[in-house]
Amino acid sequence: MDTEAKRAAHRLSLLESVLCAVNVGAIVLDGERRIVVWNSWLERHSNLPWDQMLGREFFAIFPELRGQRVDAAIQQALYNNFPSLLSQTLNKAPFPLYPQPGAPESERLQQAVEVTPLAVAGAPRHCLIQITDVSIAVAREKLLREQAMVLRSQTFSDGLTGIANRRHFDVAIEKEQRRAKRGGLPLSLLMIDIDHFKAYNDHYGHQKGDQCLIQVAAALASMLKRPCDLMARYGGEEFAMILPDTDVEQAMLVGEQLRKRALELALPHERNLGELRQVTVSIGITTQSPDLPVEIDTLINAADRALYRAKRNGRNRIEFLLPG
Amino acid sequence: MFNLSELENDALVEIFNIGVGQAASSMSAIVNEPVRMSVPSISFMNRAAAGRLLGARDAEPERICGVSQRYVGAFDTDAILMFPEDKSLEIVRLMVGESVPLKELTEMEQEAMCEIGNIILNSCVGTLANIFQRELRGSLPQYHVGTSDEILTANGSPSDAVVLMLHIDFVLEKHQIHGYVAFILDISALHDLKEQINLYIARAMGQA
Repeated sequence: MDTEAKRAAHRLSLLESVLCAVNVGAIVLDGERRIVVWNSWLERHSNLPWDQMLGREFFAIFPELRGQRVDAAIQQALYNNFPSLLSQTLNKAPFPLYPQPGAPESERLQQAVEVTPLAVAGAPRHCLIQITDVSIAVAREKLLREQAMVLRSQTFSDGLTGIANRRHFDVAIEKEQRRAKRGGLPLSLLMIDIDHFKAYNDHYGHQKGDQCLIQVAAALASMLKRPCDLMARYGGEEFAMILPDTDVEQAMLVGEQLRKRALELALPHERNLGELRQVTVSIGITTQSPDLPVEIDTLINAADRALYRAKRNGRNRIEFLLPG
Repeated sequence: MFNLSELENDALVEIFNIGVGQAASSMSAIVNEPVRMSVPSISFMNRAAAGRLLGARDAEPERICGVSQRYVGAFDTDAILMFPEDKSLEIVRLMVGESVPLKELTEMEQEAMCEIGNIILNSCVGTLANIFQRELRGSLPQYHVGTSDEILTANGSPSDAVVLMLHIDFVLEKHQIHGYVAFILDISALHDLKEQINLYIARAMGQA
């Protein structure tokens, strides 16, 4: 070997060592999307050894990425010569890479991905896919958001009952409605009203009235099991309950449990005109089906009308109406 | 100031509308919700005028959030997507569906904004390149926050540079957001651009 060839061989082996030492995943695809580079970082996080990857078609290894953002980014690099950035925020974790692959129930590494075109002498353009582990940054921002949420919740709770206030409800219903639409999930909304509450206030006085609100709110809110469920004081003696991913049957079940729970409180109410001289609630229920999303106003209106129907049909009962 | 004929102007608006249309469908695919984008108009102006266009009217210059990429090839340009900072917060949070807005874009949200810019700029420039049947090379996106003047001069463009300004309408979930894409071009790049537009028009006419 002459010196020039020796130097070239040395440079090549040095570059290979660097590629294997760097703390990012590096995949190089040729113009036919075949894998020509697969570095040690990827071996570590995928359990797929490089000698089994070389020459393989990229989408044969990752069929679930076909037609996704990664696919479009590879296309941009190979055909348009443009680099692309895939943020963790918008793409989460596209590649099946794990902190310790093979460990049971481990979660994917959170990934930021860059796809860059590579000019190669004497061959069609290649592209480099760089994958960075951003799990730590993701965890840090989650913490930041949680702390912001705690601060915010102090301005988002009802001063009297301590449950969510109307402002919180407005934000939450919008968020849950969008999530339901995007995820194709049902969403249920309950409107709950204490029966003949004005008469209660008149008879027992406002302080007792406040006590009644606090007790009913606490009892009903304690029935909610999931963190995404929300009970808010909607106004006066009216409460609203948002139940994400809850269909009609489940919502009716919850509604009935809530009605019974209010009864169990056994708060005396001399002026309740029903047979029972105790505090009862009426509940209007509506459910947005996954295939028929509606406006938020329509949803609230349906729950309100269902509540009105429950009142008209004798109170201490639940009624359901479809939105729209 | 540099001007295009009405025909050239219409051709360029059409090309950019194809570009942002593709960008909008890429973004729809990400968020699984309809995203609409359009370019109602374009204009040429010098860099100083471009700086004034974005919120520099008030005493306190508005903070702008920008994502820039450099393209070289058939013509060289710095392309910058710009939104007022509060609008960029709105876009990212609409895209992400995040419920706890913080006062500024977090590091991860800045990266998401970069991706949004990357999609829009690559689509606009890619459509141009395809229609001109020429190739350009692009850099990775960079994120900037500052006054529009600071952002337009961040890449050291000469003060006599011309800015091709695209007005962009971005519609997502009942929110309509106005922004801009600025292409900073020097005189020779401008002439290359004009030449390419005329070649395109000639081809289109020839085929008609």
